[in-house]
Amino acid sequence: MATPRSSFFFSPRCDTLLYLIALLSLLLHHISADSHFEGFDADDDLEDDTVLFQPPLSDLPRRPPPAPTTLSTPSDPESHHGPPVPQSDPDLNPKTTSFDYWDEDEFEGFPVDNNNVITPPEVIKTTSDDSVLNENENEKARVLEPVSLSKRIRAYTVEMICVSFLIMFAVNYFTGKKENENLALAWAAKFATKDTIFDKNFSLLGVGEGDNSPLLMKEGQNVFKFYASGRRYCQDLVATMELKSRQDLIAKLYNMVVPCKDEITIEVRMNEDAMDHVVFALGKKKAAKVMHKEVRDLQRFASLMTAGPNGRKWVADELMVITESKEVAGDLITETVLDQVFGEKAFQSLGKLFISLHFSDQQQGTHKKMLVFKFALPDVNHMADMTRLVALVPYYIDLIGRYKLSSQARSKTEAARSKVAQEAYKEQQNERQEMLQRKKAEKKKMMEEAASKLNAEALRKKEAKERARQLKKAMPKIKMSRGA
Amino acid sequence: MSSSGNDPRQPSSAKPYKPQPVHPDNLPIDYSGFIAIIFGVAGVMFRYKLGSWLALIFCAQSLANMKNIETDLKQISTGFMFAIMGMVTNYLSPARGAVKT
Repeated sequence: MATPRSSFFFSPRCDTLLYLIALLSLLLHHISADSHFEGFDADDDLEDDTVLFQPPLSDLPRRPPPAPTTLSTPSDPESHHGPPVPQSDPDLNPKTTSFDYWDEDEFEGFPVDNNNVITPPEVIKTTSDDSVLNENENEKARVLEPVSLSKRIRAYTVEMICVSFLIMFAVNYFTGKKENENLALAWAAKFATKDTIFDKNFSLLGVGEGDNSPLLMKEGQNVFKFYASGRRYCQDLVATMELKSRQDLIAKLYNMVVPCKDEITIEVRMNEDAMDHVVFALGKKKAAKVMHKEVRDLQRFASLMTAGPNGRKWVADELMVITESKEVAGDLITETVLDQVFGEKAFQSLGKLFISLHFSDQQQGTHKKMLVFKFALPDVNHMADMTRLVALVPYYIDLIGRYKLSSQARSKTEAARSKVAQEAYKEQQNERQEMLQRKKAEKKKMMEEAASKLNAEALRKKEAKERARQLKKAMPKIKMSRGA
Repeated sequence: MSSSGNDPRQPSSAKPYKPQPVHPDNLPIDYSGFIAIIFGVAGVMFRYKLGSWLALIFCAQSLANMKNIETDLKQISTGFMFAIMGMVTNYLSPARGAVKT
């Protein structure tokens, strides 16, 4: 009853085994009275069903007893050559085959392993020598097999790890990509579709032309751009979303150690005539100090503002203002802004999403008059959290578009700008002079080289002449006549 | 905090999007592509299997982070070539088989 299944199980093995198993089944019928074998049968079934699962090892000691019983009936012609082998075979084979899937290291020192190998020969020693030899050979083959296989498996661990990592990487690439796209689309849906903040403020939305143009442009798998244009005071607005590298498993693992945020940078290019002299930045204390050190225009024109104007509500304690003059800061941070975003109360909820503001008419790059807003993006389901932050954008465009400095402050800022301009001019001139000098030096060098070349050439010519003359002298004087 | 005044939109001043040209020198450095090439070369030179596999993995990373197809593809393809070359020398070279047997 167990044979058809077990033979199926062993099919990749050699035919002799099949034959042996068939013999065993016959034998089993012979000695079905034995109580041990009844249990054994059930075990066999179990093993067939669950190849990887090692059945109770306690049945191993049970195996030896049947051996004498079968051998005690040598009169049976069939059992003459058959019995010794099948005895251990049917039970051993499932063991070894299931053994193949084991990691040897994991089961080191496992007692059964030894029993398995040693007990059968011991049992057989009591019987004929002939069968002992036979059995030993079989054992050898069986013992060798799992070792070489596990060795082979160990030799390919690198490959297995790498291939599985690559597969994980590929799966993560697609899921991460989708996740990033969803986040960007959620942002666009919240702020750039019909009757939303950007739609109410800009006449053209999206990177293409026409009404049906795509809103977002994808640059790489984690950078998305949104474009809007057609508003008073400004030329255009570019929002760049730099999301986490979710598509990159290695970066993802790295970010587990060094966390980062999904960021959005909104850059508004102001019209040339719509922005007065304003250099202003706002950020969390640490970040603001870094900005003041690293951003050039802030470094040149602005200074950290440690305390707000007297008798007025001011920004939350975590924030730091960098500004060219106190007047500008006071005018740009209005009551409404304090009430909605930067006040102590409002900032408690919005603080985690705010990174920095930077308004300047002296920005580096091609366009000087620019407002830069940096925010962190909330997750897909909480996009509405940043509505008030995004609303800052049109608010400040209007505020700065209309803003005019007082004449007093203006004279100061103008002085500062002219000073910087002068410095820049001087620097430029210096550079130009250096260039001129370098050119001159190069020219001189070239001339010298040419001259030396000329000299060398003249020398060579002279030498050649000399040599020719000497050759002429050395040549034997032979006259040649030319034949007609 | 609605912007004061009436409709701020000015369709007349709207300009279509023009992607700002980025100088190829200003692009962020593709570290993973660079690492892939290093591992790939190591894999070929020293017959180092793991090197070739790591090169392949970093190629995949570089590919996943690709932003500019034209410039990035060159580096990725060199890295990939080295990785494949390493694979071939490691797994298909006859010398290795001879050592094994």
